[in-house]
Amino acid sequence: MSENRWLATGNFFTSYKAEQRIFQTHIDRLVFIGLLVLMFVWPLIFAVSNKYMLVIDSILIAIVAVYGLNLLTGFAGLISIGHAAFVGVGAYTLATFARLLGSNHVLLTHYWPLMIVLAGIVGAIIGGIVGLPSLRLKHLYLVIATLSFQMIFQWVINFSKFYDQGQSIAIGRVFWFTGKVARKQHYFLWYYVILVVVIILGFAVRNLLRSKHGRCLVAVRDNDRAADAMGMHPGFTKVYAFALAGFFAGVAGALHAYLWRGVGFESFMLHHSISYLAMAIVGGLGTLVGSIVGPVAILMLELQVESLSEFVGHYFTSIGDVATALRPLSFGLVIVLFLMFEPRGIANWWRIVRSYFKLWPFRY
Amino acid sequence: MKNKQITIMLVALSFLLILGFSTQVLAGETYKMGMSVDITGATSDIGNPYSKGAEDYVKYVNDEKLLGNDKLVLFIRDDAYKTETTKRNFEDFLDEDIVLYQNYSTGSTLALRQDFDEEKIPTITASFHAGNLENCNYLFLPIASYSSQAVGLAEYVVANHKGSNKIKVAMFLHPSAFGRGPLGDVKKAIDIGLPIELVEVVEHGKDLDNTAMLKRFQSKGVQYVISQTVQPPVATMLKGAQSLGMAASTYGEAGKITFLGCHYAGGPDLIGLAGSAAEGFYWTTSYKLMTAKGPGTDAQLALAKRYGRDDKLANSQNYTNGIMVIQVAVEAIRRVKAKSIKVNRANLFEELQAMNGYNAFYPLTTVGPVSFSKTDREGVDTLQLYVAKGGVFHELGAPFVSEYVQKLKK
Amino acid sequence: MSYFFQLVVSGIVVGSIYALSALGFVLIYKSSRVLNLAHGQIIASGAFITYALTVWVGIPIVISFLLSMGITFFLAMSVERVFLRRLIGEPIISVIMVTIGLMSIIDGLIYMTPFGAGNFSFPEFLPKTPVALWGVSISWTQLVGVIITFIMIGGFTWFFKASTVGISMRAVSDDQFASMSIGISVPKVFGLAWAAAGLSAAAAGGILGNITGLNFYVLHSFGIIVFPVVIVGGLDSIFGAVVAGIIMGLIQQFAAGYLDGNWGLYGTADVLPYIILLIILLFKPHGLFGIHEIERV
Repeated sequence: MSENRWLATGNFFTSYKAEQRIFQTHIDRLVFIGLLVLMFVWPLIFAVSNKYMLVIDSILIAIVAVYGLNLLTGFAGLISIGHAAFVGVGAYTLATFARLLGSNHVLLTHYWPLMIVLAGIVGAIIGGIVGLPSLRLKHLYLVIATLSFQMIFQWVINFSKFYDQGQSIAIGRVFWFTGKVARKQHYFLWYYVILVVVIILGFAVRNLLRSKHGRCLVAVRDNDRAADAMGMHPGFTKVYAFALAGFFAGVAGALHAYLWRGVGFESFMLHHSISYLAMAIVGGLGTLVGSIVGPVAILMLELQVESLSEFVGHYFTSIGDVATALRPLSFGLVIVLFLMFEPRGIANWWRIVRSYFKLWPFRY
Repeated sequence: MKNKQITIMLVALSFLLILGFSTQVLAGETYKMGMSVDITGATSDIGNPYSKGAEDYVKYVNDEKLLGNDKLVLFIRDDAYKTETTKRNFEDFLDEDIVLYQNYSTGSTLALRQDFDEEKIPTITASFHAGNLENCNYLFLPIASYSSQAVGLAEYVVANHKGSNKIKVAMFLHPSAFGRGPLGDVKKAIDIGLPIELVEVVEHGKDLDNTAMLKRFQSKGVQYVISQTVQPPVATMLKGAQSLGMAASTYGEAGKITFLGCHYAGGPDLIGLAGSAAEGFYWTTSYKLMTAKGPGTDAQLALAKRYGRDDKLANSQNYTNGIMVIQVAVEAIRRVKAKSIKVNRANLFEELQAMNGYNAFYPLTTVGPVSFSKTDREGVDTLQLYVAKGGVFHELGAPFVSEYVQKLKK
Repeated sequence: MSYFFQLVVSGIVVGSIYALSALGFVLIYKSSRVLNLAHGQIIASGAFITYALTVWVGIPIVISFLLSMGITFFLAMSVERVFLRRLIGEPIISVIMVTIGLMSIIDGLIYMTPFGAGNFSFPEFLPKTPVALWGVSISWTQLVGVIITFIMIGGFTWFFKASTVGISMRAVSDDQFASMSIGISVPKVFGLAWAAAGLSAAAAGGILGNITGLNFYVLHSFGIIVFPVVIVGGLDSIFGAVVAGIIMGLIQQFAAGYLDGNWGLYGTADVLPYIILLIILLFKPHGLFGIHEIERV
């Protein structure tokens, strides 16, 4: 290990501990802290419209959900196209309370941090149960098993009287120390709450991957028989991966319920699951950075395409259908192009940029 | 020297000011409205013509200066039938300072209604679900709710049923809030004396084959099926009934089944989808159809032609639907202007609520007047029955108002 | 009792249409180990091409049905060439996601045509009276659909059993390296598998379009509906697809016929296939007729 922890032009690790540091150099840490300060300060300086605050908030929620999916699919190699249903489990945990106690019950409005954690735990339990078939199923068959969970979830919500047959169930406005959070501050408050959650869980994922509990996921993904031989329990690990993913998704679901002030099952459909998967892939499977940039990329793209298609629709009224075609077309093309030309996702670009700066002024 | 400079500057400034004011007067005010509609989602076949109707009518209003020198701006956003996108669109519209909002799907209307009340923004929705109006004061349904439509159809069944046997009816519903909406009100109407027997309620899935269901209906003696869903499942059912020889060739034919449906279950598009199987399908809506000639329909065809729309779109009742919601909005704006008060949310809301009695609005695209009041925020209460004959829907009888719905409202 | 037999007959009819739609998945999976999630979209395109040829060009419907099968044959082949060829040897998730991307792309392309937002129906050419036997009725459309299904399935079974190309496709599915070494062009086989799937999709689309009418949303969501059929049958067995299709058709009919409306249950026909799928997978992890690779941890 070079003693200079400000600059490092190569790998000089002398111990495993050094390799496992969260921040390799002080510069990394400085950049990170700078970024954090920026994230916390900018809404205070710039006045952002509610729409963009809502967009940013939902991107952050998607990041939380994709953390989980990336752990499951990227690190443990278990493909799930039922992730939106896990998010739904979290949201419907809150809805259950709202239905039982009323949507403005103290538990929901005052003890919301507790509810968020609780939703995560419920998500983890359901995740573990849904993960049970992974003991026997592999590859495509497992994919379809998660699809079944998605379908069963949709059916249960849509046809149960208790959940008002999937109609929106309202969740009351929460209280902060200053009192009830009004409409104007709603998105503002939740920006900070979700940001804190994203940071805490981001560190949690990073630290998990530094420990044996995280490394066993990767070992099972790469070769479960070898992992078995090395004393890990592949079956348990797979179920545990599902539970982890369920936890993250559950937290995301609770945040979703609070942010949108209601839970309706239309927010947790199959195509949401697919777009979570797309986010993880475009971001970069099996990387932490990927879980963060993926949602940003996909959701911003969607927004841009929306305004583009509106523009197109205004100026080419005769071919109005082109405008409606743009969104699915761009979504599909982004996924396909990434898989064909950059299967490691945007995280790989990040890696390239980093290594450029690290090696500068040399080229390699 | 210095004084002269100042004078020149003052003159120039005042000139600029006058110019500024006068151009402002010339340009008039701009009223902004927002519309979130499903153009690419699950119900795009309905939402697409709907959005085109709204778009064209706004163009027409501006081109023909129906609001004087004032300009109407309508933001149309695609929400792809997703509640999240709808809410985002809504927040965006609020940032744009809209005075009136048009929503689309039942799911998003239910999810956003608390926001409408908080923001005190009058909202017209394309979902005619009666449940929308509960716990929300700022929502307006342009035409009779699905409940009124379904009860109205049931009344028609009672009035025109031949034979003395008990009238057995089944309902065919979409598996969502949108579909289940009218069920409760039909049951209530039966409780207060509507003489039909509701034999079975079916919430359809993605069935390819309704043979079993139809056979069951037949064996239970069901003679009438009232549908509250979208067109594709109805088309599948009609095609099935036709090929099994179960569809009644005349109204209420004994031993056969007569099919009836609410607004979104029928229309010219249903004939497009079901072909000859749609013959003899009874359908109710508050909109005027293109087959019934009149000033309203002529105007609609002219509008579609003017803005280069094809025949299919021009004849769609959803195109009418889109035109009509803008008509109502424009009328409210016009009335607020006539009182020479500011066009804002509160005044528009008051004006919409005052749209009744002598002040009811006749948009020509509907079969009756639009009337809103403090207690009744369903627009056109009148319904028209149509029947499919020879590949088009024809008017049947005069427009009517559902009696039992009036009783239930009391 | 005739109600029961009606359910059985309807179940078999619906099931065989499922089987035909599932055939496309099986054909592709059998040779190239790819699960094509965009199959529903190809089915829809097949139906729309048939309609366009019949109504807009004016070709008799039977010929345009065959023509559209030819068109989707080359269409699917080119899809494989452009998108999937690069991904040979990539991990399974990449391949799945590419087909999901394809789903969106084809959606977008179809939105550019009038079919994206309109409803259409095929001109009617079959008698409108039902075929009734012992109190059980079946419509001509369905009957013709079932006949076409069994012709197609019979044809493909023969193709895989007896023809040289079919045998080489089976060889590729068994061992790619070994088949390369005996002179089989693996990419060509993949292309052919996709083409064959495209052909079967057009047939399925034509039949479905006749039953439901042409609505894009209904047609393409059919791709998702037949998943349980594909998986229960075992991804690589044509015979499995037929059996599973009929099982699922029967289950759905019985669910809709006996469960719905009782005990407050509705829409069971949509969810039961998935529940049964999970149960079957617990006991037979590779479906009823899939090739066994024992997996137990």
